Amino acid sequence: MALIETRELTKIYELGRKRTVVGLDKVSLQIEEGEIFGILGPNGSGKTTCLKLLLGVLFPTSGESFIMGKTPYDVEMKQHVGFLPENPYYYDYLTGPELLRFYARLFGIDPKVIPAKIEELLNLVSLWDARRLALRNYSKGMLERIGLAAALVNDPKILIFDEPTTGLDPIGCKETRNLLIELNKKGKTILLSSHFLSEVERVCSRIAIFHRGHLTKVGPMQGLMATYQAENLEDLFVKVIEEFDRNNPA
Amino acid sequence: MRKAWVIAQNTFHEALRKKTMYMLLVFALLIIGASRFFSFLTAEEEMKMIKDVSFYGIEFCGALIAIFGALGAVSGEIDRRTIYTLLSKPITRTNFIVGKFMGQVLILLVNYLIICAFFIGLLLIKKSVPNVDVFKTLLLIFVELMLISSITLAIATFASDAFNIIFSFFLYITGHLISYGRQMLDRLENVVLKGLGDMLYTLVPNYENFNIRDKVVVGVSVSWSYVVKTLGYGVIYIVIAMLIAVYFFQKREV
Repeated sequence: MALIETRELTKIYELGRKRTVVGLDKVSLQIEEGEIFGILGPNGSGKTTCLKLLLGVLFPTSGESFIMGKTPYDVEMKQHVGFLPENPYYYDYLTGPELLRFYARLFGIDPKVIPAKIEELLNLVSLWDARRLALRNYSKGMLERIGLAAALVNDPKILIFDEPTTGLDPIGCKETRNLLIELNKKGKTILLSSHFLSEVERVCSRIAIFHRGHLTKVGPMQGLMATYQAENLEDLFVKVIEEFDRNNPA
Repeated sequence: MRKAWVIAQNTFHEALRKKTMYMLLVFALLIIGASRFFSFLTAEEEMKMIKDVSFYGIEFCGALIAIFGALGAVSGEIDRRTIYTLLSKPITRTNFIVGKFMGQVLILLVNYLIICAFFIGLLLIKKSVPNVDVFKTLLLIFVELMLISSITLAIATFASDAFNIIFSFFLYITGHLISYGRQMLDRLENVVLKGLGDMLYTLVPNYENFNIRDKVVVGVSVSWSYVVKTLGYGVIYIVIAMLIAVYFFQKREV
């Protein structure tokens, strides 16, 4: 079994008055250990839905998903997962160290090592100087970086990032990209959802392209680019989406 | 339980930073303080009035703290989307609900101790040493407030804030009037209405069971066996409310 797997995963949102929207339609994915796997797609294509189903935040309409062979509701599995949501929201009255301490305690990390871990993480994301500031005073970029630190507090085996470079300036993007590569070299598996195709192109080995809740294409990025004779990932992305729209008119 | 306790502490810290709680606390202290303005009465009557108004103020303001505190406990996390990162951590949804309730109890306890200390201080200023029945009254009021909090939290797991606030207050009022309703029910001849009334009487917690202030104020002692039975009654309802909360939150899409 792959490290992260979905089997015919489907999510239909009920909007009331018998209106439904297909969030995800029979998506089957396998992500192997040690990969940096990219999930791409236009807005509303199902990327975030897929990630939330994997983490048990949402319940599937049908199908299954597994991380490390365990269901999304397995507490033991979540000890090994770090998650950075899109537009992260945190308790704005807390400072960065307080937030990290809260999450560290939820992971059951030894209280004696927590202060050193917090200092290490805040230095990693260049927020040590802002350690006394409440999160409500953080910029968008700072919130992304504290989110990154929070996702790493348990030294997870698997990292799930939903738009990790949103709000970051070019230097921040480069630092995040380098961090992802560094974490992957340490053996971490990374599942990354992003709109920033240039970032995905630089770090991901395999990708999946979502559109209107469907998994349109999945495979090695270079292989897909060769198949579609795409100059770059953006070119591949556009061609795949246009092909899907031609074959499946809305 | 350890993880629930971590969530409870976070909930408590969040409440410390909310102005609503302080306003309600000040309101309670004002009501108790205002009972001092009965000095035109005889000493005995004044003491009865101080106790009566203070017990009522403690209970009413405590109910406001219990309802408003529990109201946003679940919806606040969902609206702020902090629930996403929380549920991605190694905690169960049961941990979350139990932790939220423990946090609400902590909030209630701290506010309650401040209010009670003020009340006891006022009695001592008036040279009246509170007897054990005063403490029995305060204990039962506190358990009543925990019950109100647990019910509001349970409703929060499946209903909107607007519905919750209306229903919680409706239940608070009904819970205090249900004994009178029971007397009227016994006179009913309509079997269907009587059956509905019986069902309501069984389901709705009787908050008047926790109200011993009318007796204590006039100097009538209340037995410990009654206090213990009522505490047990409260604990049973709290457990039922928590089970309902856990059941609905397990199924709730966030």
